[in-house]
Amino acid sequence: MTISRRDVLLGATATAALLPIAARADTPDVAIGIIYPFSGSSAQIGVDAQKAFETAADIINKNYDFDLPLARGEGLSGLGGAKVRLVFADHQADPQKGRAEAERLITQEKVCAIIGTYQSAVAVTVSQTCERYQIPFISADNSSPSLHRRGLKFYFRAAPHDEMFSKAMFDFFDDMKKKGTKIDTLSLFHEDTIFGTDSGNAQLKLAGERGYKVVADIKYRANSPSLSAEVQQIKAANADVLMPSSYTTDGILLVKTMGELGYKPPAIVAQDAGFSEQALYDAVGDKLEGVISRGSFSLDLAQKRPMVGKINAMFKEKSGKDFNDYSSRQFMGLIVMADAINRAKSTDGDKIREALVATDMPGEVTIMPWKRVKFDEMGQNNDADPVLLQYIGGKFVTIYPQQAAVAQPMWPMK
Amino acid sequence: MTAETIIQSLASGLLMGLLYGLIAAGLALIFGLMDVVNFAHGEFLMIAMYATFFLFAFFALDPLLAAPLVAAALFVFGALVYLLVVRFAVRAKANAGMVQIFSTFGLAIVMRGLAQYFFTPDYRSITHSWLGGKTISISGIFLPVPQLAGAVVSIAAFAALYFFIHSTDFGRALEATREDAGAVALVGIDKNRVFALGWGLGAALVGLAGAIMAIFFYVYPDVGASFALIAYVTVALGGFGSVFGAFAGGIIVGLVEASTALILPPSLKSVGIYAVYLLVVFIRPRGLFGSL
Amino acid sequence: MDTSFAQRRRRDLIIAACCAVAAALVPLFVKDVYIQNIMVLTLMYAALSQSWNILSGYCGQISLGHALYFGLGAYTTALLFTKFGVLPWFGMFAGGVISALIAMALGYPCFRLRGHYFVIATIVIAETALLLFQNWDWAGAALGIDIPVRRDSWLYFQFTRSKLPYFYFALALACVAWLVTWWLEDSKWGFWWRAVKDNPDAAESLGVVVFDSKMGAAAVSAFLTAVGGSFYAQFVSYIDPESVMGFQFSLLMALPAVLGGIGTLWGPVLGAVVLIPLTELTRSYIGGSGRGVDLIVYGALIVAISLARPEGLIGLFSRGHPKEPAR
Repeated sequence: MTISRRDVLLGATATAALLPIAARADTPDVAIGIIYPFSGSSAQIGVDAQKAFETAADIINKNYDFDLPLARGEGLSGLGGAKVRLVFADHQADPQKGRAEAERLITQEKVCAIIGTYQSAVAVTVSQTCERYQIPFISADNSSPSLHRRGLKFYFRAAPHDEMFSKAMFDFFDDMKKKGTKIDTLSLFHEDTIFGTDSGNAQLKLAGERGYKVVADIKYRANSPSLSAEVQQIKAANADVLMPSSYTTDGILLVKTMGELGYKPPAIVAQDAGFSEQALYDAVGDKLEGVISRGSFSLDLAQKRPMVGKINAMFKEKSGKDFNDYSSRQFMGLIVMADAINRAKSTDGDKIREALVATDMPGEVTIMPWKRVKFDEMGQNNDADPVLLQYIGGKFVTIYPQQAAVAQPMWPMK
Repeated sequence: MTAETIIQSLASGLLMGLLYGLIAAGLALIFGLMDVVNFAHGEFLMIAMYATFFLFAFFALDPLLAAPLVAAALFVFGALVYLLVVRFAVRAKANAGMVQIFSTFGLAIVMRGLAQYFFTPDYRSITHSWLGGKTISISGIFLPVPQLAGAVVSIAAFAALYFFIHSTDFGRALEATREDAGAVALVGIDKNRVFALGWGLGAALVGLAGAIMAIFFYVYPDVGASFALIAYVTVALGGFGSVFGAFAGGIIVGLVEASTALILPPSLKSVGIYAVYLLVVFIRPRGLFGSL
Repeated sequence: MDTSFAQRRRRDLIIAACCAVAAALVPLFVKDVYIQNIMVLTLMYAALSQSWNILSGYCGQISLGHALYFGLGAYTTALLFTKFGVLPWFGMFAGGVISALIAMALGYPCFRLRGHYFVIATIVIAETALLLFQNWDWAGAALGIDIPVRRDSWLYFQFTRSKLPYFYFALALACVAWLVTWWLEDSKWGFWWRAVKDNPDAAESLGVVVFDSKMGAAAVSAFLTAVGGSFYAQFVSYIDPESVMGFQFSLLMALPAVLGGIGTLWGPVLGAVVLIPLTELTRSYIGGSGRGVDLIVYGALIVAISLARPEGLIGLFSRGHPKEPAR
C-alpha cells in the first residue's frame, strides 16, 4: 500500500539510469511522450503510471524471453536496435496544460508519439494537438466513449471504453438471470466529471434496452466532504445491484458511509476506477468481500500465461504494487505504440500511423485477456474484451466472461 | 420519499454540521482575533489528518488517543506559521488584505507540495480504530459513532472556547488585543505573543477536527480543498468575529446540505449552502451573529 | 502638481507603446511554439489581471469569482458556434455583454457587502455557476464542448499550428485592458475611487455616484474578462466547466495583479510577465517528477513576494516618483 520515499527515490534513480544506457547506443533513440497528472489530486495515478511505462520500456530496451512484441532482443529491431526513451510531462488535470505539454514534447523533445492521459478532458486536447502535428496518440487508459468518435485520424485506443465495459456488465446480468438470480432493479451512483457522466449515461441506456429498472440514478459531486445524503437515497431505493462509477477517494467514502448507514446491497458491480485501486481495498477491503468490478486486466491470466506474472513482478519491484486495471493498460499502450514504430521502421508520424492502422496483435502476446489488438476506422480496438473480477479473500478472481473465468460468481456478496 | 429518509438525512446533516463547525472554529477564532482569513486552513486540516494517520501507522495509536497529541503538534505549528509568515503579512503597510490572502494561499500550495514530496500522493486511511465503522441504530435511524464523537468533541470545544474567551485572563487579553493592539502594548501585553498563541489555539482546534476526521475519511495531499471553502462559508454565515456564529453556521450548513440533496440532484447540494449564505448576507451584511 | 501628473501619464503611454511594439516584434525572433505558447498565456493573464484590477484594485471590491465571467465568455462563444454556427467574433461580443449584465445584476446586492463577506460572496456565486454548468446537459455538462476544427482563418479565429494570430490577439487585448485602465485613472470614476480609498467615510457622502461607478467598473471588468474567456475557448478549442470556471482560475487571475502591484497601472503586466513563465517552466521542467517540487517552488515564491514586496513588484521600480498621482 505504501510507497516509501526511498522507493520513489529509487524509481527516480532508475529513470536516470536508463538515460545513459540509451545514450550509449549507436542509433539515435526513439523519444515517446508520456503525459500524465504528476501533481494535484490525481498525482498518485501519474506516479504509478510512470512505473508502468518504465517497466514496458525496460522490456523493450533489454532482452527478455517473453512472448511479447519487442521483448526479445534489445531495442527496436526495425530501427537498428534503437532504444525507446520516455519523456514525461505533467498536465495537472488541466486540458490547456495538457495541450501545451503535448506541443512542447512534439516540437522541443521531438517525440514521435504520445501516450496519455488518465483524465478524459485532457485526452481531448492532447489528441487534438497530436492530430494537428500528425503525431499518433494512444489513449492508454481513457475510457470515455466520446473520445474516438471525433473523427481524428491519429487517435488510437487499444483498451475498451465505458460502453464496452458496461455492455459486459449487462451481458453478465442477463447470464445470471438465466441461471435464476433475481436482478430486476439497479441503482446507478456516479460522479459528476466526464468519467462518471459518460459511464452513467451508458449504463442508463443499456438498462433501458435490456429491460432493467433503474430505481436510483444518483450523480454526486466528486470529492464531496460527505456522501451521507446520497447513500441514504440509494439505501431507500434498495436495488438488486448497486453500480458505482467512482474514483478512489469517493469510493472509500462511499463504502464507509454505506457501512455507517447500515446499507448492504445484494451486489455491487463497479465501473473500475477507484474499485480497482489497492488504496481502496487497503482502506475498506473488509467491507467489500464479493464486490465485482469490471476490468481489462486480471492476474489470473498468469496461470495460463506465465509471463504475466513475471512482468507483474517487475512492475511490483518498481512500484510496490500489483498491476491494476490502469497500470496494465498503460503498459500495453507503450507496447502497442513501440510495436507500430518498429514495424514502421521510421519515426515519421504518418508512417507510424499506417503501422498502427495495420496492427493485428493476437491477444496471446499481450498481458491482457483481449482477443487481439486491431483498430477500427475510428482508432478503437473492438476486440479488447473486458472482464469482470470479483474480490474474494483479499484478491481479485475473474468470473466473467466464461472463457476467462476461473471461479463461479458469488452472489449475493457477503 | 419516506419520513425515515428525511429524518436520517437531517440526522446525518446535523452530525456533519457539528463537524463543519469544529473545522471552522479555528478559522473563526483567528479571524475574530486579528481580522485575517487563513487561506491555508484546509492544509492545516490535511497536516492534522496526516499526523493522526502516521501516529496510527507507526505507533498503532488510536485516533482518539492521538487527538490531544495532534492538537498539541498543530498548536506549535500554528504558532510557528504566525511567527514566520503571518506576522510579516499583517505588518504590510500596503494592501494588507491581499497580502494576507495570498501569503497564506502561497503557504497552502507549499504545504501541498511538501506533503506530496514527503508522504507521496497515495491515498491513506486508518483501517481499524476503536470507533471506526461502528454505528448506532435507533429505530432505523443510523448514527455513525465516529461522527457522534466528532459532534461531542465539537460541542465540548465550543463550550471550552466560550469559557476561555470570556472567563480567563488570557482570553481577555485576546479580546483586548483585538480591540486595540496599540493600547494593550501600553499595559505590557506583547501583541505578537498573544497573536501567536491565538494562532496556536486556532490550529489546535483544527488538529482536533483532523484527528476525528481521520477515523472515517481518507487522507491525501489535496484533501483539505474540499473542506476549506465550506469552512469559510460557515464562518462568514455565522458572522466574522463570533465564535458562537461558527457553531451555528456549521449546523446550518450541515442541515442545508443534507436537505438540498433531498430536493435537487445531489451533485448540486452545495448550491443550497451557497444560496443560504447569499440570502443571509443580503439581509444581514454581517452574517447571523457577526460584529465585524 | 497637475502638470507632473499629466507628464507621468504621457510618459506611461509612451512606455506602453514602446512595450507593445517591442512585444509585437518578439515572435519574429522566437519561433519555438512552446515559448510562443507561454507568451500567449502571459499576455492573456496580463489582460485578465488588468481587467480584474479595475474592479478589485482601483475600485477596492476584491473579487475571487472572476472565473464566472471568464467561463461565461468561453461558453457563450463555444455554444453559439457549435449550436447555431455563430462566428466566434459575435460570440465574443455577446459573451462580453452577457457577462457585463450579469456583473451588474450581481453587483447590485453584493456591493453592500464589505470585506471578506464580499470576497466569499464572489467565490460562492462562481462556484454555483460552475456546478450549474457541470449539470447542464445542453451545454455539454461535464463533457464540455469540443470546438470543431474548420480551416485556418481569421473568420473562425482558428489556426491549427500557428500561434501568431493568437499572440497578436492576446497582445491587442492586453493593450485594450491597459488603455481602459489608463483612461479610468484620470476619469472622474478614478478620482472617486481614490477618494474612497483614502477616506472610507467620504464614500458615504459620495453615496450614489460611487455606487454607480462601482457598477460601471464591474461591467467593464466583466466584459474584458469574458472576452479573455472567448479567446481562451478559441485558443484551446476545448472547454469544460472545471477548466474555465474553477476557483483556481479566479485566483490565477488575481495573482499577477497582487504580486505585480494591486491597483497600479503596471502591476498586472509586471506580475504576469514574472509569474506565468515561471509557472509554466517549473511545471514543464521539474513537474514531471511526480513529487510536487514545482508546487513548492511556486508557492514559496508567492509567499516570498507577497511578504517582501507587499506593494507588489512594481515597488522595485517606483522609488523615483510617488505611487499615487499627486493631486
